[in-house]
Amino acid sequence: MTATSPAPAAVELVRVRKDFGSAVGVADVSLKIGQGEFLTLLGPSGCGKSTLLGMIAGFLTPTAGKIVVDGVDITDVEPYRRNIGMVFQSYALFPHMNVFDNIAFGLRMRKLPKAEVAGEVRRAIEMMKLGGFEERRVSQLSGGQQQRVALARAVVIRPKVLLLDEPLSALDKNLRAQMQVELSELHRKTGLTTIFVTHDQGEALSLSDRIVVMNRGEVQQVATPIELYRTPANGFVASFIGEINALPVARYERDGGEAALVLPGAGRLVAPAEGNFAHGAQVRAFLRPEHVRPALPGEDRPNIVSGVVAAHIYQGSHTITRVEVDGLGLIETRVTGADIVGTHPVGAPIALVLDLGDAVMLAANAGRIDA
Amino acid sequence: MTFASLRSFGFWSLVVAILTYMTLPTLVVLMTSVNPTEILAFPPEGVSFAWYEKALTYPDFRRAFTNGLIVTSLASTLAVVVGSAFAWLIHRYEFRGRGVLEAVLWSPLIIPHFTLGFGFLLLGGAFKLQQGYVMIVLAHMVLVMPFVTRAVYVSLATIDPNLARAAANLGASPFHVLTRIELPLVLPGMAGGWLIAAVLSLTEFTASLYVTGSRTQTLPVAMYNYIREYADPTVSAVSAMLIITTTLIMFIADRAFGLRRVLAIDTH
Amino acid sequence: MTHRRPFFITFLAPAVVTAVILAAALFEVLQYSVREFVPGSLNVGGFTLENFTRINRPIYWWVLLDTFYISLLTALFSLLLSYPVAFALVRARRDWVRSLLVSLSITPLFTGEIVRTFSWMLMLGSDGFINSMLRKLSLIEMPLQIMYTRLGVVVALVQFSMPVMIILLATAISHVDRDCEKAAANLGASPGAVFWRITLPLTLPGILSGIVVVFAWTMSAFSTPQLIGGGKVLMISNLVYLQGFSVLNLPFAATLSLIALIAALGSLVLMKSLTGRLEKRLAVR
Repeated sequence: MTATSPAPAAVELVRVRKDFGSAVGVADVSLKIGQGEFLTLLGPSGCGKSTLLGMIAGFLTPTAGKIVVDGVDITDVEPYRRNIGMVFQSYALFPHMNVFDNIAFGLRMRKLPKAEVAGEVRRAIEMMKLGGFEERRVSQLSGGQQQRVALARAVVIRPKVLLLDEPLSALDKNLRAQMQVELSELHRKTGLTTIFVTHDQGEALSLSDRIVVMNRGEVQQVATPIELYRTPANGFVASFIGEINALPVARYERDGGEAALVLPGAGRLVAPAEGNFAHGAQVRAFLRPEHVRPALPGEDRPNIVSGVVAAHIYQGSHTITRVEVDGLGLIETRVTGADIVGTHPVGAPIALVLDLGDAVMLAANAGRIDA
Repeated sequence: MTFASLRSFGFWSLVVAILTYMTLPTLVVLMTSVNPTEILAFPPEGVSFAWYEKALTYPDFRRAFTNGLIVTSLASTLAVVVGSAFAWLIHRYEFRGRGVLEAVLWSPLIIPHFTLGFGFLLLGGAFKLQQGYVMIVLAHMVLVMPFVTRAVYVSLATIDPNLARAAANLGASPFHVLTRIELPLVLPGMAGGWLIAAVLSLTEFTASLYVTGSRTQTLPVAMYNYIREYADPTVSAVSAMLIITTTLIMFIADRAFGLRRVLAIDTH
Repeated sequence: MTHRRPFFITFLAPAVVTAVILAAALFEVLQYSVREFVPGSLNVGGFTLENFTRINRPIYWWVLLDTFYISLLTALFSLLLSYPVAFALVRARRDWVRSLLVSLSITPLFTGEIVRTFSWMLMLGSDGFINSMLRKLSLIEMPLQIMYTRLGVVVALVQFSMPVMIILLATAISHVDRDCEKAAANLGASPGAVFWRITLPLTLPGILSGIVVVFAWTMSAFSTPQLIGGGKVLMISNLVYLQGFSVLNLPFAATLSLIALIAALGSLVLMKSLTGRLEKRLAVR
């Protein structure tokens, strides 16, 4: 784990653990989140990301470990004294209050003078482009508007940290893309330290300063989106972020400046030599579909494998073609356009070039995919 | 006529016939209550409010009506307070002895009213409170409370649990979560439960027969005693007034809070 | 950890106090049922089990059997008449029809025992509505004797029990997945076959709980057998009243009401286990 925070820590988790009976919800997570950072907790459902968020908000008490915000240990502080804003997946807008009262709720709980409440709420309403909706009941709002009210309500109390629990998952696709832009703008304008929980890697990659990938209650990797995509720390991260082909475990052979992967039943593939694997190590290579392409007619170079087209998945701008390669199993290649559907119909033989120079090589034990 | 429409016609005729069986007795009561003569006549031989006048001036009914109002207002209000607290308790908390507590407090739904009435009669005797308002109110409260608890519990269960969390997150203390979020949202359920409790208490007879005395009898008990002595339509007039009152209350409950929701009947 | 259970005591205290009062009342019944009867006095003597052995006499057995019989008849007829109404109430296409059916079938629940019993006295008496109508139509010459018969009691009790039965059946019917019916029709089942093979079996738990709830309710009915039965039809409740208020044998009255309570509880326990098993069988997921 290469968790270097860019600024002094706003939130620090120290070996935080949560057990549910004998099951582990979150296992000894330590994290530092920088001031003003946008950090995403990413993982499949049940990975512990929401549990972690619940502990930061104070709805769940950690079994062990501590949570520090702005240098103060808040592990045993009750939720309503934490001053941590949160946007819920269901928004949890108060159905018996109008938009104004929803946004004002937190300020009133802080016993702010009336005029000040009105001023703050007005500013939040302006920032979230909710002008004219003050008197509306929340049930009369669209999904996107409800989302903005939830955000305004959480931001207006000037929280030390803003928690977002899958806030975009209830929106349809177009609205989601738009709200992503707005979230990003909101973060820039307010500069709030933000912890965002999602299972959608697209959202995570586009919004975050750093991403924490979690699985089965454990942190798999903490990295910037680009690092995460290019150099996943293990098989789980590699296969969770984007599409990837996992080649079978191979023997790494090094001979001077040359290196090769010896695959049982598939022969030798030339491998990049700059890896720090010892001669004879068991390794596993991961290769993105964009790094696999059909060979040109008569092309002659290393790392060409042959197989049979198993399926085409047409996706508009490109086509994902699945090829059954002897000894390697199913390999996906990503080809621009749809020509390949005509030139290589299902069942036709095809030769593929594997760009192993761009592959991620992991020691075989780290390459285990336990999604 | 096609076979399908014939079947549909047959089905709806059956439903109408059954509903006639269910509602006819009520209509007959209303009819006899405005019939001028003492002998029952169908259809009525005219319209007269003489029986209503007699009902409203008959001392036993007057006193019973006042008694009923006292008992009903106290019992249903107490039932709302205690029943709501109980609904909150079982909605929020697991604790030791919860099963026993629930078994006892739901039991009036199952226990025969005469057993309960008899029990309160004996209990009143033990404390020299027999036939007094305290025992009548307690018996009524215990009998109607499950309906309030149910109405409030259903309202509580339909609240998104994240609302309380969101409020706490925005700085609301447990007291504020209760008063600003949960209470306003449950208020319709409480009000509906209160109306149902009032109607049930107002019309409760069997247990009341045991716990009331001649000075403290409620309206249904006074009606029972009257029916056993006389056979004139005065009781029709009292019945008609009760029918109209309860129907009106249930209509209000339905309009304001949705009868189906308050009774927790789920037809969709 | 007290701060994690705000208002726990506040919510708990009133419930506990109420439960204690209720339990005390029931305990008094239990306590009286094992005490000696002192004729001519409301005071009771020492411990005895004689009240329970006294039950074992033909006359009490007949009352018990009659109570069971009337309750069973009521439950069955209530089911037969309620099912079509409940079905219509759930499946009617128009909203206003549904609302009308709900109010017509449920408001009778709130007019109370006495009003409803009295209305049936007006219906069934020898000069009552039914007899005068039949005479007007020259169908009969002498009035039919319906009052003071078991038939009259059952006719009135069925009408009383129908709102509850309809509520339970409507809930069960509304839980039937309409897609199951569509699938059956799609596989070639006629509307009749869809009802008998799909809808009815799926509502079996509701039917069963309806029967048992009405059965238990009817067993504790008092005013109807008292006024419409007029002493000629005796159920446990009437016997309790007779013993308690005419004979003033409070211990024996207590014993009888305890037995009624046990019978009501017993039938509900029976229902729980039966419907539980049924629901498990019907659970597809």
